[in-house]
Amino acid sequence: MKKLLSAPALFAGAGIFLIVGLLLAFWWAPTDASSMGFSQKIFFYHAPIAETALVAFGVAFVAAIAYLRTQDLRWDRLGYVSIRLGLLFSVLVMLTGMIWGKAAWDTWWAWEPRLTTFLLVCFLYVAYWVLRSVVDEEQRRATYAAVFAIIAFIDVPITFFATRFLPEGLHPVVIQAGDSGMEGRMLTSFLISMLGMTLLLAALIRRDLEIEDLRDRVTDLKTSLGG
Amino acid sequence: MSDSPDRRDGAPPLEIEVEGLRKTFARREVLKGLSFSLGRGGFLSIFGPNGAGKTTTLRVLATLLTASGGSVRVAGHDVREDPMPVRRAIGFISHNPMLYPDLTAQENLRFYADMYGVEDRDARITGLLERLELSHRRHDVVRTYSKGMRQRLAIARAILHRPRVLLLDEPHSGLDPRAVDILDGLLQEIRDEHTFVMVTHNIAKGLEWGTDLMIIESGRIAYEHAAGVDHDSFSAVYREHVHDGSVL
Amino acid sequence: MSGWTQFRAILRKDLVRELRTRDMLVSMILFVLLAMVIFHYAFSVKEGADLTYFTGGMLWVTFIFAMLLGLNRSFAQEKDEHCLDGLLLCPVDRVTIFLAKTAGNLVFLLIIQAVAVPVFTLFFIERNYAGDLLPFLVVLLLADVGICALGTLLATISMNTRSRDLLLPILFLPLIVPVLIAATGATTLIFAEGAGFGDLLARLLFLLGFDAVFLVAAWGTYDFAIGE
Repeated sequence: MKKLLSAPALFAGAGIFLIVGLLLAFWWAPTDASSMGFSQKIFFYHAPIAETALVAFGVAFVAAIAYLRTQDLRWDRLGYVSIRLGLLFSVLVMLTGMIWGKAAWDTWWAWEPRLTTFLLVCFLYVAYWVLRSVVDEEQRRATYAAVFAIIAFIDVPITFFATRFLPEGLHPVVIQAGDSGMEGRMLTSFLISMLGMTLLLAALIRRDLEIEDLRDRVTDLKTSLGG
Repeated sequence: MSDSPDRRDGAPPLEIEVEGLRKTFARREVLKGLSFSLGRGGFLSIFGPNGAGKTTTLRVLATLLTASGGSVRVAGHDVREDPMPVRRAIGFISHNPMLYPDLTAQENLRFYADMYGVEDRDARITGLLERLELSHRRHDVVRTYSKGMRQRLAIARAILHRPRVLLLDEPHSGLDPRAVDILDGLLQEIRDEHTFVMVTHNIAKGLEWGTDLMIIESGRIAYEHAAGVDHDSFSAVYREHVHDGSVL
Repeated sequence: MSGWTQFRAILRKDLVRELRTRDMLVSMILFVLLAMVIFHYAFSVKEGADLTYFTGGMLWVTFIFAMLLGLNRSFAQEKDEHCLDGLLLCPVDRVTIFLAKTAGNLVFLLIIQAVAVPVFTLFFIERNYAGDLLPFLVVLLLADVGICALGTLLATISMNTRSRDLLLPILFLPLIVPVLIAATGATTLIFAEGAGFGDLLARLLFLLGFDAVFLVAAWGTYDFAIGE
């Protein structure tokens, strides 16, 4: 089991699923019937990246609670590794979303629920990093980061809800995702991509945790050598 | 002092029990496994160089800091599991008076009295202010007080709720002679029925009051002894361990 | 001694302190009034520009930024005089401290709003919205609670860091956006077209939900935020 969860194995698994998903998406699933046509294909990556980013923040949320209960810094490490990756994925979501928007509706930006939620998500989790950077003491930094990670994650669905359901008066361009009524080949390709992306996240978390562990050990060695 | 748990009959119950106390700050171990205890009515004088961990130890006893390891019991309760009864039982005097400068002496004391649930609040406050010779200034904001007066008011704050254990962090430092006299007088008055832990650089005071003496150095207990050590031999031991400009 | 007595003691202490020095209140009120003047000049590029649909936004932006100033101030003194230690030494539930501090901040915000709203109405509102005053006040109160609860929690954290004043806005602003959306929507509607409880129901319920969720979240995490 441990072998199965190791970074190389996870990367391999992720790779397989993502490539298969890619092939299926382009050659097997039917082209979208709506006006979006071929550019709709980006959705097979855009949405999984989005879901995976949220999964990453969810992992950080659980890790934060675990840290507050146990005071074990390894949970803190899982937290910031997940958030770092989640932030990366969120930026990708916005970029792919913008590309899609340009291709399909000829506009780089629109103040619509998904893009704005992810924009705020980026700000939120960058704030998490700023917070970490201004606390010098380890345990306290982990504690504050955990509190903020919990608050931030709770705010994400609330923000999405607000941007989606509270009318702002001026009605923005509502971009249909086409995710309702996905069936058959489309759904299968989509789910395979989803699984691939989630495995990729797991692999990256795993590898990052290993890197952070090495980094700490180097620091400890340096200190003990009088560095 | 560092007695085994089973005490003989007649020996006072343990008011402070510290076992393997460790504290880490940013990967640096500040306290490396302290173990000591103090019976009720005892007076522990803690000496040591700056940065040794004396104030850290005191703050852990006061529930202001959580230990990284080990167990600490004050007034019969574990400071981590059960901090509330500990807080009710302790008074803390440090060189920070912990008084609100824009409130009057009376307002400050009333606030703390309410926070501690002191029942005879007004009578207690009036009595303490008189004892500390601050009655004439009770309606002045603390911002207008001299350092000595603030320290006196801080003492009132600390003993307002009649705590069983008093933790003192260099209480004599920066005080004028009058304030020192008042402080000593007060300590003498409440000496019985109370347990004290005092961190100090003032050897004379530490020896005068202490029933138990301890030197902490680099997060460890470097020396401990029950009272009865004369000033000179203690000074010699002290000089061995402490190299900064303490008052000998 | 009950939590309620302690709550009142902390609240009274903060109110007396502030009313005596008036540092925070005066600065915040001046800031708010100045901001309104600035807004006028910032937005009136075109002759006779109609700002009606901007009014909700202007008002809440002003309050949020004023609150950021005030929150920093309210904790700075506790920290500087080490009074926070004195407070933490007391046998008081950390949550009681949170609620008392939030209540204090809420009172200050309400005082500022009591001054700011009439002046704002004078400067920017043409419609007589007296008929919708009650819904307006409810919106005000619900949004205020969210702002104060979240702000107090975050200020507690940020005051213990290196860049106290600068950090708070960065943490606070992304989190408060949902409140901003709901409050400005409701307020603009009231100022521009008039709205009763029916029209505002979705937003009011949303604010109520937001407040409830974050009060609970702060309840659970405040112990960690304030301890050492």
